[in-house]
Amino acid sequence: MKLSNAIGLLPFAAALTAWAILPLYVDYPSYMLPPLPDVWTHLLEALADGTLAGHVANSLGRLALGFAVGTGIAIPLGIAIALNRHVADTLKPLLTFLQSIAGIAWVPLAIIWFGIGIGSVVFVIANTIFFATLYNTVIGVQAIPQALHRAVRSLGGKGLSLASVLILPGALVQLIVGFRTAMAYGWRALVAAEMIAGTNGLGYMTIEAVQWYRTETVLLGMIAIGLIWLVMDRLIFEPIERVTVRRWGIVQR
Amino acid sequence: MAGTLTQTPPHGVPWSRRLMRPAKGAAGILLFLAAWQISVPLVGLEPYFYPGPADVWAAFVDLMRKGILPVYTVDSLSRYGAGVGIGIVAGVFFGVLIGLNAFASKLLSPTINFLFAIVEVAWIPIFVIWWGYGYKTILIALTYVVFFPVLYNTLIGVRTVPQPLINAVRALGGTRLQVLTNVILPAALPGIITGLRVGAGFAFRGLIFAEIVAAKTGLGYLIFEGAQSHQTARTIVGMISVGAIWLLIDQFYLKPIERATIERWGLVTDAEQRA
Repeated sequence: MKLSNAIGLLPFAAALTAWAILPLYVDYPSYMLPPLPDVWTHLLEALADGTLAGHVANSLGRLALGFAVGTGIAIPLGIAIALNRHVADTLKPLLTFLQSIAGIAWVPLAIIWFGIGIGSVVFVIANTIFFATLYNTVIGVQAIPQALHRAVRSLGGKGLSLASVLILPGALVQLIVGFRTAMAYGWRALVAAEMIAGTNGLGYMTIEAVQWYRTETVLLGMIAIGLIWLVMDRLIFEPIERVTVRRWGIVQR
Repeated sequence: MAGTLTQTPPHGVPWSRRLMRPAKGAAGILLFLAAWQISVPLVGLEPYFYPGPADVWAAFVDLMRKGILPVYTVDSLSRYGAGVGIGIVAGVFFGVLIGLNAFASKLLSPTINFLFAIVEVAWIPIFVIWWGYGYKTILIALTYVVFFPVLYNTLIGVRTVPQPLINAVRALGGTRLQVLTNVILPAALPGIITGLRVGAGFAFRGLIFAEIVAAKTGLGYLIFEGAQSHQTARTIVGMISVGAIWLLIDQFYLKPIERATIERWGLVTDAEQRA
């Protein structure tokens, strides 16, 4: 790294230093901002006894389940909307309205229907991912050139073969770009839903600690939520998107 | 002109098709409501578990007559307006300030990228510890949610102003202030609008969430409290209000601003329009 870029690390260093020396000079209750070493030891404890790993595993499992349910409904429906004008005209206003009800507003109703716990959380994630994927499926399928439709049809393709030869591959790039956005919204919905309706998971761990003023745990939760998302986005979704867009997308060499 | 010939002009759509589309859309919504209402006696569950459209309408009338819904709506909107307003002003101000100064830009960019990357709902618990349950926490959370997308996109907008443009205005005798108002701000405007759009969406979700967690009034509270007290029809009135308000904000506020900016300063150049 060039020296001139290294100055970008100064604010981080300054913030950590301030965090470390502030308790020596300013008198404030330690629950407002626990000393840095406390957070560190708490992190080591939570790693050692497996509580952190357990919450992370629960959260990720729910995200995967919500993703499966959401995309499982969104992709067939999206294809139907993109291919059939009557379906599109009939459903669009209703879906637009349902989409504008932010996923988080569904949580209290989900609690009534599914109780506190995994059911409510997965419902909310699936709801959020459903709308993001639906939108991208419609766009992706509609972007397939009409000439290709005619070509496949004139060669006798219809139904399943049309879907597997033309529609799914044709919409794939847009779908994968959409997955990344969907997961970004899904992760936010997951954390928020766990805070209101969870019985475990990272969001629950964080909000539960607020009740007891265990600020170390709150900070740990925030860092884990931020870091896990960053890792998923940069190490999984971004490479997948890059590879697929280069291979099948509009970028031509 | 060649480009316009290949497109179907909007007037070319037959009027019957133009009427059919909203008619089908209305039919879709009516069918949904009818299926919902008919399913209520068939399902036969407790009304708190599965209220029908008639129950929701009754709850709506009740909430309107008691004045609860208007008051909560105003509460929510004023929180939203204040948070988004402060967030935009601060985001643009610091975005321009940092973007114009190469040193500040190098110093602060990694920090901004880092904070932008942290999912904003994760901040709400620590905000609650610092500022308690209530208005202050909600306002700070909304401001935060709007601030970073606006800052980030303003910064990108300012950095992409071509240096020759700045040099040209300076050579023609323009002052630094004139460069700012006539070159940099207009050039950064599409970025600012992008940031505003992203931020406004996140902030609206953030508002509902914050009101569920940390408020005693507002539409988020109505949704939460209705479910808590088993007045589920009230929850659904709250959800419909939230959806309708977001649609209105999007249709009559965000989209027109976006359209106006992109037409005026955005990617559509004179050359393209004349071609």
